[in-house]
Amino acid sequence: MTSQAHSKRTLDWDKLVVRTFLVLWLAVLVVPVVMMLAFSFFTTEGMQTVFRPTLETWKTLFSSGRWFVGVRTLGFAFMVTAVALTAAVPFAFWLSKRCSSVALRSAILVAMTIPFFLEITSRTIVWRFLLGSNGPINRGLEAIGIPAQSWLLYSEPAVLFGMVILYFPSMFFPIYMAIELLETSLLNAAEDLGATPWQAFRLVVIPLAMPGILAGIVFTMVPAMAEFVVPQLLGGFNVNMLGNSINAALAALKYPTAAALSAFVLLALVVLAVMLRVSAKRSGVLASAAEGLQA
Amino acid sequence: MNAGWQHHRGWRFLSAGGGFLLLALAYMPILWLMVLSFSERPLSAIPFPLTLGWYEQMLADTRWRQPMWTSCWLALGVGALSAILAAAVGRSILRLNRPGRVIALALMPLFVPGLTIGAAQFLFFRIFLGLRLGIWSVFIGHLFWALPFALVLTLVIYSRFDRVLLDAAADLGAGPWQRFRLVEWPFLRPAFFGAGLFGFLLSFNELPRTLFLRGTTTTMPVFQWAQAADHQSYVPISFALATIVVAVTVPVLIGFFRIAFRQDDRS
Repeated sequence: MTSQAHSKRTLDWDKLVVRTFLVLWLAVLVVPVVMMLAFSFFTTEGMQTVFRPTLETWKTLFSSGRWFVGVRTLGFAFMVTAVALTAAVPFAFWLSKRCSSVALRSAILVAMTIPFFLEITSRTIVWRFLLGSNGPINRGLEAIGIPAQSWLLYSEPAVLFGMVILYFPSMFFPIYMAIELLETSLLNAAEDLGATPWQAFRLVVIPLAMPGILAGIVFTMVPAMAEFVVPQLLGGFNVNMLGNSINAALAALKYPTAAALSAFVLLALVVLAVMLRVSAKRSGVLASAAEGLQA
Repeated sequence: MNAGWQHHRGWRFLSAGGGFLLLALAYMPILWLMVLSFSERPLSAIPFPLTLGWYEQMLADTRWRQPMWTSCWLALGVGALSAILAAAVGRSILRLNRPGRVIALALMPLFVPGLTIGAAQFLFFRIFLGLRLGIWSVFIGHLFWALPFALVLTLVIYSRFDRVLLDAAADLGAGPWQRFRLVEWPFLRPAFFGAGLFGFLLSFNELPRTLFLRGTTTTMPVFQWAQAADHQSYVPISFALATIVVAVTVPVLIGFFRIAFRQDDRS
């Protein structure tokens, strides 16, 4: 049996499959995104899109005050990321290295995964019932003599709160996986060399978990930049974000505006990714991570 | 472990408290919506007395049935096709000489927000190509959202497969179908069913892409979103529906993870 001819034939078949797949991929994902970038340089007149390249849409975006929505969205995305990161790193470390019960660990991992697969509208809107002035939280506060807090709902803290809960698992999982890969013997070595737990955490765990931390930041920032459900349901009309503006622009048939706003989201994410990459390179994080993987 | 580490154990548990709090807060609305779906007075702080009235109203109501059917069929199709495509493409990708770039490209949708992709696909299909959107465009949107997850799962599990086994099977006289059925498929199977389940659930709960690509089709998440946006009509019928979906989804997922973890232990 000519094993070589056989494997050559399968390789040709594999190349064909992958190429067909890539063509579909380009047609359904890449081409639409490129077209969207092009759309942002058109304008709307009446109800019609005018296919003539111009910077008009981008200019009105900045002059109409929509830039403030962009700044607010970025600010929220950063705050959500910061809070989720602060909670996720110690939690992931504890779960991976200090939780001695295997059953508890698997239960927590499954519990972290399940909400990702549950529909988000109903489990966000329930907060209205929980945080509202008639809700159990405010009633509980009144019962112990504290007046009802109206800022709990339809406010910036409410939106921040809702988003952090939603995106905590996206931050947690990459960090957890990175810490899982870290050999426990390294921690023991640090301890033998006289490091305090805090020193071991800061000098051993954090640097080695850095690829996971960076991935967590990206996986939190990406959905946070285009969030629209939480701001609309928990922010009322007080806390508009880019996602809400994109929805509104499309509903009003202002396609170039929607395209420009979406392009802005993409642009912000690309800039962020480049910044993360540069800072990671400078601190040698990726190089040491690559070394660790090869070893 | 020496005393120093023991001494700090309490502190470390405390530092993990933020994670426990956020995890608990993620389940609080799920539990509360289940409670409210049985509550006679959902707008008050105390949900008692309990009632089955919302479920009776839900059964009498017909508006949610069409969206529910649409979502079920759509999710079945997306789950099945993403599992098949991921299996077919995943095994081919791993046989390439340099699979890195293809994998990076295939994972791209994970790095673009759903709303952005949805808007882009809407502009492309509807405005640029002038097509009438409907269930087909929702299907494409969902399929290409579920595929990266299905591919990751397939690649991770299938990368453990050693192709020498196929040559061995060929030497022992197995035909191409036998080689696939008896040697490759057992490796591929967990990834296949995992990808199918994930595809089903991702499609069943997808909102941002669907909002743009739906034309006049309504799925369950779109129905729930429309109910939520309409302030007056948001009655706990939606909570009753959500409760039923949660009651089905959560046991299925837990069962899947139990099977997946058990297989992991064995290998």
